[in-house]
Amino acid sequence: MRSALWLSLSLPALCASAVVYASSDKVFDRTVAAQPRGVVDISNVSGKIDVKGWDRPEVSVHAELEDDVERVDVASEGSHTTIKVVLPSHSHGGEARLHVQIPKDSELNVSAVSADVTASGVLGAQHLSAVSGEVTAELMGGDAEAKTVSGDIKLKGHGQAVRLRVSTVSGDVHVDHGAGDFEASTVSGALVVSLDSARAVRAHSTSGDLRFEGKLTRGATFEASSVSGDLNVRASTEGGYEYEASSFSGDISDCFDVKSERTGKYMPGSRLQGTRGEGAGHVRLKTMSGDIQLCDRS
Amino acid sequence: MTGREGPDGRTLVKSLGELPQSIEPPRDLWPTIEARLGGIEAPAPAATAAQSIGRRRSARLRWLAAAAMIASVAVGVWIGRSLLPLPGAVPGARSPASAANDTSAVTGAPTALDAAYVADPRYERQRAELLRSLQTRLAALPPASRAKVMASLETIQRAKEDLERALGRDPGNALLQELLVNTYQDEMRVLTDVREASDPGEGI
Repeated sequence: MRSALWLSLSLPALCASAVVYASSDKVFDRTVAAQPRGVVDISNVSGKIDVKGWDRPEVSVHAELEDDVERVDVASEGSHTTIKVVLPSHSHGGEARLHVQIPKDSELNVSAVSADVTASGVLGAQHLSAVSGEVTAELMGGDAEAKTVSGDIKLKGHGQAVRLRVSTVSGDVHVDHGAGDFEASTVSGALVVSLDSARAVRAHSTSGDLRFEGKLTRGATFEASSVSGDLNVRASTEGGYEYEASSFSGDISDCFDVKSERTGKYMPGSRLQGTRGEGAGHVRLKTMSGDIQLCDRS
Repeated sequence: MTGREGPDGRTLVKSLGELPQSIEPPRDLWPTIEARLGGIEAPAPAATAAQSIGRRRSARLRWLAAAAMIASVAVGVWIGRSLLPLPGAVPGARSPASAANDTSAVTGAPTALDAAYVADPRYERQRAELLRSLQTRLAALPPASRAKVMASLETIQRAKEDLERALGRDPGNALLQELLVNTYQDEMRVLTDVREASDPGEGI
């Protein structure tokens, strides 16, 4: 009887302590010296990677680690700093939430599996990749490449011209206030792009829709294609552009009061072509079954 | 009748209008006709030989017609298999017709069809290798990501089939050829991304 009473009292206490133990993360902090224009590599499987640029010649790492995480390796050698979350072998769990500060002119390479990635205040080139995690980054003037399998990509610029490359398999892509050269590809994700001044744009999707809005520089080139996705392009430019939109079975419309014409008498297919303004730039849009809308007004 | 008489004693007429509307036979001809019709059941040997030749000619014509039909069907199948893209066909496999009609070696410029079906053994090898390990690679991805990748690969497969079907209707369509090539490139990119994403310690 007494042992039963003891058990009934001790069991809830044991469970409560287990819950407290399970939720208590380990904290990791480390700061190492780094070159102002060095390279910083960061990798993490699960959790989060948050990177900020700062003025100090140091890399600072603050991490909250679940118990399944074995350790965080931080190594600095020459111009190279590496931060790597290490999991026990045969473990796929274990979240690590990394908060990293790096010299703002550093080149940044981030690789994640299901961790979300955010980067801000980094002036150097950025190469950000994740499998299912979301990638969010601020474009500060350095070239950027963002790549995911199923995660979304969100990039926000300040109008500085950069070379920007994004690709996803099924994730959506959102770009705001980008500028310069832009290249994007997706299978089924949506591409929603707003560029302040674009020199060259190339976008391709299999079934995802593209929505572009923005200005092109004089003589810019814009090429977009999709198999079944719709292309909605509102691109304006001072020098105007020659345009050609072709679709096998999709509808083509514009805001120029120009009608598309059939490409063949007996086969499906239509084409819209002409020149706006001086025709300094080139716009080419192609789909198989997706609809195309083209306008030179925002 | 107002005509003159000819040398044989017959009356000559100047116009058809001078002829009588009808002439009654001097006797009933039907019994003779009926008797001759009845005799047809047992044809003369000369008539049998003529009919036999006619039947042989007719049979030969039928054989020729059948052979022509088979030949035209065969040519149709050959054109269909060798010139038009088939659903599920691998683009790297260059069509025999394309190879046979290859003028690019002479002109140095690839034809539109060749542009869409460039034979590249490296591409074939890489794709086959990536497909072999796909299941293992997918298993290493997070479940939500795995489902999305599989859905995307299905999307690519559908896009390829749609494009190949459309190209079957309009084989010379450069727009469709370009989109098909892009779609094959997309497939390779996804397969490569999946491989890299599932490699421990490697980023995509």
